[in-house]
Amino acid sequence: MTDIKRKININFITIPIFILLILMGFFLPEGVKSLVIHIMVLSIFAMAYDICLGFTNQCSLGHSIFFGVGAYGVALSIIHFQTGLLSSFFICIILGIILGLIAGIICVKLSEAYFVIVTAVFYAIFHLSAMNMTWLTGGDDGLAIHLPKISLRFVEISLYDKIINYYFVLLVLIVSYFILNRFVNSPLGKVFVAIKENEKRVKFLGYNVFLYKLIAFVISGTFAALSGGLYAITLRYASADFFSFHWSILPVVWCLIGGIGTLFGPWIGVAIMYIFQYYISSIWHYYLIIFGIIILLILRISKKGIFGYIIGRLQT
Amino acid sequence: MDGFFLFLNGLIWGLIIALIALGLTLIFGVMGIVNMAHGDFYMIGAVISYYIVSYLNNFWLSLIIVPLLAILLAAPLERFVLRPYEGFPSSSMIATVGISFIIQQLALAVYGGIPKKIVNPFPLDISMFGIYYPGYRMLVALISIVTLLFLWLFLYKTSFGILIRASMQDREMANAMGINVNRVLISTFAIGVVLATIGGVLAAPITQVFYLMGNDIVLLSFIVVVIGGLGSLKGTFITALALCAIEGVMASFLSPTQARVLTFLLMIVILMFKPSGIFKD
Repeated sequence: MTDIKRKININFITIPIFILLILMGFFLPEGVKSLVIHIMVLSIFAMAYDICLGFTNQCSLGHSIFFGVGAYGVALSIIHFQTGLLSSFFICIILGIILGLIAGIICVKLSEAYFVIVTAVFYAIFHLSAMNMTWLTGGDDGLAIHLPKISLRFVEISLYDKIINYYFVLLVLIVSYFILNRFVNSPLGKVFVAIKENEKRVKFLGYNVFLYKLIAFVISGTFAALSGGLYAITLRYASADFFSFHWSILPVVWCLIGGIGTLFGPWIGVAIMYIFQYYISSIWHYYLIIFGIIILLILRISKKGIFGYIIGRLQT
Repeated sequence: MDGFFLFLNGLIWGLIIALIALGLTLIFGVMGIVNMAHGDFYMIGAVISYYIVSYLNNFWLSLIIVPLLAILLAAPLERFVLRPYEGFPSSSMIATVGISFIIQQLALAVYGGIPKKIVNPFPLDISMFGIYYPGYRMLVALISIVTLLFLWLFLYKTSFGILIRASMQDREMANAMGINVNRVLISTFAIGVVLATIGGVLAAPITQVFYLMGNDIVLLSFIVVVIGGLGSLKGTFITALALCAIEGVMASFLSPTQARVLTFLLMIVILMFKPSGIFKD
């Protein structure tokens, strides 16, 4: 019963937002447009993370490896192999799947706290190696990318154009939202939720819990890699910083502020954080102090985050 | 002899890490809080000792002043901020991330973003087995061992320590037995924070004092806590020493980064075969 309600709720909210975003592309001033692009790219990351944390209750601290590998997958394939934009995204997704499988097979078996730490160790290994292997990654300075043009049948478009960049990112966001939403509402997604609610019982019912958790982890990693690739394209560079702890902990923050297990909730988390950063950081340099206080307040009011709180209110 | 030198260095880092990680274990075990801000308490210790050195010109005073300040900071923080998140690992994790943001940015605002060094307060080399070893590091080892001894005496020999360990084993039962949980919670958190800040003070002259210096430490001490078997004090201590010593030995023939990466890989292998830590009792 509650699930049906939640599903209707989510599409009723997200589709108007998509329409609004499509319309807004023409009117927004430059600065705000890049802010919105930023938010949309990271929303994909947040949604991907939500599949892991919100649906199967795997609190990973290592998602920056996917983000960074996605970014470097795109950057390196453009720089070294002169691939087109779309084929480099293809490479980045494949890398995400492979890495998700490798990391997943090692981590997913472990119980909660051990899972958190081993994923965190993964991030540490990748971050240290990326900082060390400057010949490949450019280290802290990073690599700049020159974006190739995308040639459609009749026209060639270039992502250097802000509007095209905006709609490209929006298109990817819409597609990944519908794919993830489909996953979540399929029988597979129901098993995910069941694992979150009570893992032992799902095991007794005869499901292969390991396999389902692995699937969730791989899906999550793949979309995180996609988001990393988009981020590299938007900023036109990739650096070892993409592997850092910052990018591991942020998705957890977004998901918990916005509301885990809702797909849409994490968007709110991302939006709050970046709108805040965009407007407050110009006034006061130490805006993260206020942000920390906001995190504490939101969690104090509701442990399910903003959107979880709203849903809870609507359902009672 | 170079290898021996690095091995000793590793062991002494291990003692500092053991201090920090034991605080983390206590806080997690008693309160159910995954304290992501633990590294920042370590940083606070180092930063305050920097100020004490530059204003009062005496490093050793900071070993007295910093723990007192830490108690003043930790007690209200636990009572008024962290209390609602206790027992919810993921919420508490994010709440402490929020606290960590606040502490780091305050440090950035007050102390500045440039790494600074504290002058070595004990510039004397001790000759031993044919190598000259910095005397300050020896003192660090001594002070941490004394602190750990006091901690052990407190936890295992005093009645209040027994209350803390009882709450660690089974909080509900401890509650039902009429233990004053409020006092136990506040003092546990304070002890954890004091241990982290002492670690910071001791480490300050060895490393650079920097407002993000806690970020590396928090991960390392989490790893130590988990590999040692969650909630096992003995395991945490032994793992901290062993890991840092191994890293020190590896650093003698590899670059420091490679040594750390290899240590981490080793941990993953250990956890793959012993998925609940080494010293789980």
